[in-house]
Amino acid sequence: MELLAEILITASLVISGIFGFVGSYGLLKLPDPMTRLHAPTKATTLGVGGVLIASMLYFIVLGDGLSFHELLITLFLFLTAPITANFIAKTQLHRNVPMDDLPKTGTGRPWATYESDEARAEAEANRNP
Amino acid sequence: MESIGTFLPLIAMMPFVGALFPGLMIQAGRNVCAMTAAVPTILAIIMLTICAPAVLDGEVLQFSLPWLPSLGLNVNFFLDGLGLLFAGLILGIGILIILYARFYLSRQDPMGQFYTYLLLFQGAMVGIVLSDNILLLLIFWELTSLSSFLLIGYWKHLPEGRQGARMALTVTGMGGLAMIAGMLILGNIVGSYDLTVILENKDAIQASPLYLPALLLILVGCFAKSAQFPFHFWLPHAMAAPTPVSAYLHSATMVKAGLFLMARMWPVLAGTPEWFYIVATTGLITMVLGAVIALFKDDLKALLAFSTVSHLGLITMLLGFGTPLAAVAAVFHIINHATFKAALFMTAGIVDHEAHTRDIKRLGGLRHLMPITFLIAMLAALSMAGIPLLNGFLSKEMMLEEAAHTVWAGSPWLVPALATLGALFSVAYSFRYIVHVFLGDVRQDYPSKPHDPDFGMWAAPGFLVLLVVLIGVLPAVAEPLVRTTAGAVVGGELPYFSLKIWHGLTPALFMSAIAVAGGALVLSIHSVLAPRWDAAPRPEAKQIFDAIARTATVFSRWLTDMLHNGSLSRFAAIFAVAVIAAGLFAWTGGEAGPPVREPLEIAAVPAIAWALLVLCSLGMLVFHRNRLLVLILMGVVGLIVSLAFIYFSAPDLALTQISVEVVTIILLLLALNFLPKVSPKESSPGRRLRDGVVAGAGGLAVAGLTYAILLGDFAQESISAFHLENSYSGGGGTNVVNVILVDFRGYDTFGEIIVLGIAALVIYALSQSVLGGAGGRWLASGELDSKKAGDRHPLMMVIASRVMMPIALMAGVYIFLRGHNEPGGGFIAGLVVAIALVMQYMASGFAWAVARQRVPYHTTIALGVMAACFTGVGAWFAGRPFLTSDFGYVTIPPLEKFELATAMAFDIGVFLCVIGAVMLALDSLSSMARRAGETVNQLPMDIDPARRSVANATDKMAVAAGKEA
Repeated sequence: MELLAEILITASLVISGIFGFVGSYGLLKLPDPMTRLHAPTKATTLGVGGVLIASMLYFIVLGDGLSFHELLITLFLFLTAPITANFIAKTQLHRNVPMDDLPKTGTGRPWATYESDEARAEAEANRNP
Repeated sequence: MESIGTFLPLIAMMPFVGALFPGLMIQAGRNVCAMTAAVPTILAIIMLTICAPAVLDGEVLQFSLPWLPSLGLNVNFFLDGLGLLFAGLILGIGILIILYARFYLSRQDPMGQFYTYLLLFQGAMVGIVLSDNILLLLIFWELTSLSSFLLIGYWKHLPEGRQGARMALTVTGMGGLAMIAGMLILGNIVGSYDLTVILENKDAIQASPLYLPALLLILVGCFAKSAQFPFHFWLPHAMAAPTPVSAYLHSATMVKAGLFLMARMWPVLAGTPEWFYIVATTGLITMVLGAVIALFKDDLKALLAFSTVSHLGLITMLLGFGTPLAAVAAVFHIINHATFKAALFMTAGIVDHEAHTRDIKRLGGLRHLMPITFLIAMLAALSMAGIPLLNGFLSKEMMLEEAAHTVWAGSPWLVPALATLGALFSVAYSFRYIVHVFLGDVRQDYPSKPHDPDFGMWAAPGFLVLLVVLIGVLPAVAEPLVRTTAGAVVGGELPYFSLKIWHGLTPALFMSAIAVAGGALVLSIHSVLAPRWDAAPRPEAKQIFDAIARTATVFSRWLTDMLHNGSLSRFAAIFAVAVIAAGLFAWTGGEAGPPVREPLEIAAVPAIAWALLVLCSLGMLVFHRNRLLVLILMGVVGLIVSLAFIYFSAPDLALTQISVEVVTIILLLLALNFLPKVSPKESSPGRRLRDGVVAGAGGLAVAGLTYAILLGDFAQESISAFHLENSYSGGGGTNVVNVILVDFRGYDTFGEIIVLGIAALVIYALSQSVLGGAGGRWLASGELDSKKAGDRHPLMMVIASRVMMPIALMAGVYIFLRGHNEPGGGFIAGLVVAIALVMQYMASGFAWAVARQRVPYHTTIALGVMAACFTGVGAWFAGRPFLTSDFGYVTIPPLEKFELATAMAFDIGVFLCVIGAVMLALDSLSSMARRAGETVNQLPMDIDPARRSVANATDKMAVAAGKEA
């Protein structure tokens, strides 16, 4: 049982290490900011996820019992990672990408990041008279 | 006589309390205002009168109250003959001046202010003469300098008034500083700061090697205050004050403070050759010099000012002789001078008031126009000249008698001759005051037609002149007072003396006759002498003073600019160099303990973290012009430092560091929004090299010192062991860090949260003033960043922060509650909650969030400080010192037994202060953003799918409202 657990823990750690490395490498090597954004997302979800699984297994089998810390960390990661990515993407669009370079939205209105407060208010008012 | 002694602090306090009222009562009219000023003075006089019989019987009344006993500073008062005389003079003449000033001041003068200043001054003077503690005396001494500054500069619109006030403050204030040093030396010799104790230690003081320095310093203070040569020059310039002030301060009271102190210290300081040669010689020079200058002054008040200088010199000389009989003469002359000189000043004021000029050359013949004033002025001036049957004669005879017996450096005739010369000129200027102002023909060209004033104005000088004549004719009436006072000055038995008019054909009588005859002769050739005097070159004190003041100003400005020209880098460089130099001095001069510990093995993970730390620091150096990048590197450094704290088992510090780091970086990011993104190059390469060398040296020095301390032991045993031992038993907590913060060093923490609160308020105030000025206009001009992002408050962020809010608050409460025993506490909890709030603000915008926040942040800070303060005060009710903590264990079923400590209430104060401070800083930044054109959203998020159907109207309104905001 212990041996099995140790193997599982080790495997999770190795997998997480590989994904962490791939994520970091991608961050360095990918060509433009938008694609580069994907690399650390992989690293957090799979890399950190692997470490968390390893940690849980370790505490269940070899440590003091079931530990909830990892679940909380997972929860916070799941909350924060997409928001961070969202903001980085918004910033990239806002600062470096002209509105016309993006695909059309098909609604007659631009993507949210490019729409000013006044324009949005007016558009929504027109749509729902 | 304990019961009467309690009057003493009341007498001293009465004018100070009374000073509050005239300024208020001026609304009710000038008469009421003057009466309000008179009431405390009269009350003080009544109390003094109650005390007087006991003092005249030879008792010494005492009162004592510990104030700062550890410093030797106590509120001790005592009243003996000398104090009684001076207190009587100060209060008695004070009440006359209050009466006189009521009629002297014109409608344009703010009378309330005048009486307030006057009472402040009166209180300070009474304080000086009643103090039984030299430190307390020094406090009152400086108060007289300050309040006389206000009085001399009372006519703020006159440059002479302002300059005179400044000069008086400079001279008397610097004298006061010297005196503080002298008094401290004296107190150290004796081992007590109580005057009564010091007065009993004559032998110890005069035998001490520090006697001469103490004597010199105290005398500088006395001479500066009493306008003795070479400090005499400030008194004539102080005459720019209104006449009541001159009459009060510069004849009767303040200038006598120096004399008072010399008389007070007479028993312990006098009797040595040093005392004789310094004090008597200074007095003699001042007497003669003042008298000669006075004769040639055309301004009435200047004449009187220099005559005052001369008479003060006379008294100083008498005190300097060091014999008991000379002390008797000095005391007697103090009384006489106060009466006739105050009267003379008041008549000068009347002349000025009625004729609109004080220039003797434009006056004359007033005898016919102002008969009452003439009578008063004549009697007072004749007394000053020393004519028989007036009180000035008596004390002048005694002075000449003492002078006749005094041998100066082996010469028996020098002092008598010079004293006679001084008396001669004194007679001359006194006669001049009568002859050139009042006698002669009536002129037609007075600036205003003079006539006698109302009774109210001449009542006060009239009363004083009555005393002049009374004492002059019946010297016996003053004898008990003189005897008691002189007894107090001498501090022992007095030799036989008697105050009477006729002593027989003594040498003094001949000297007096010479003086009167000579004085009349000199006056008769005044018109010949005056042009020559005016033509003669002589140093002008004001120009010298101004030149010195200017030089000092230029030097100070040069020094300040050198050290502190507003350049932060220069300031930091000077600071760093100074600290390094001090450190080097300590390192080379002292002896460092040998290393007693082995360095730890360096493991791989810490080594990597360390390398990262170093790399980031270097990165900051290289990229420091790119501010955003620097901020990110700073964040990395902060995180590694927190990890280091965990690695070295300091969880409290780690928690604090990490939360502070988050808050700091967020606030800095927001601030960066309003700053250029890149720092321009401003310094030359040479300067950068210099700064680099200084910074490098500082860094290496600190690193080296840390390394040495880490390997070695402290020179003294560290206090940590005590904290560890007593944390649980004394503070009721197992988290030593928290117990130190809220209990052992609670007072420090109390101060720190106040500082934190003040810092936040200052940030707020600064940002508000920036917004009101050029900075605000620049922000509003829209140059900052015209390109605005849409969808500023994205749905995902808003929802996530809402979800996080209760969890974060819960974590805050948890950290707060467990703080006493586990890592945590009010400070960290405050930061955690602040971060939870900051998240809401980031998600939905500051204005939206602040609208949902009931308690303003200023109030939060205040509540925090008050919570901490009241917790501390609570200890008083248990009869313990401020901030003593207590704790106990409580059981509320079904909960387990838990601990309640007063420190927790204190911690709440810390908690609130931290939240308030962080949020107020955020608020300040947000108001800048709004000035820069950021609109205010009324809704939590910009695109809300749930709102589609209902939002339109509201949205429109929101945008409109946002534009207005």
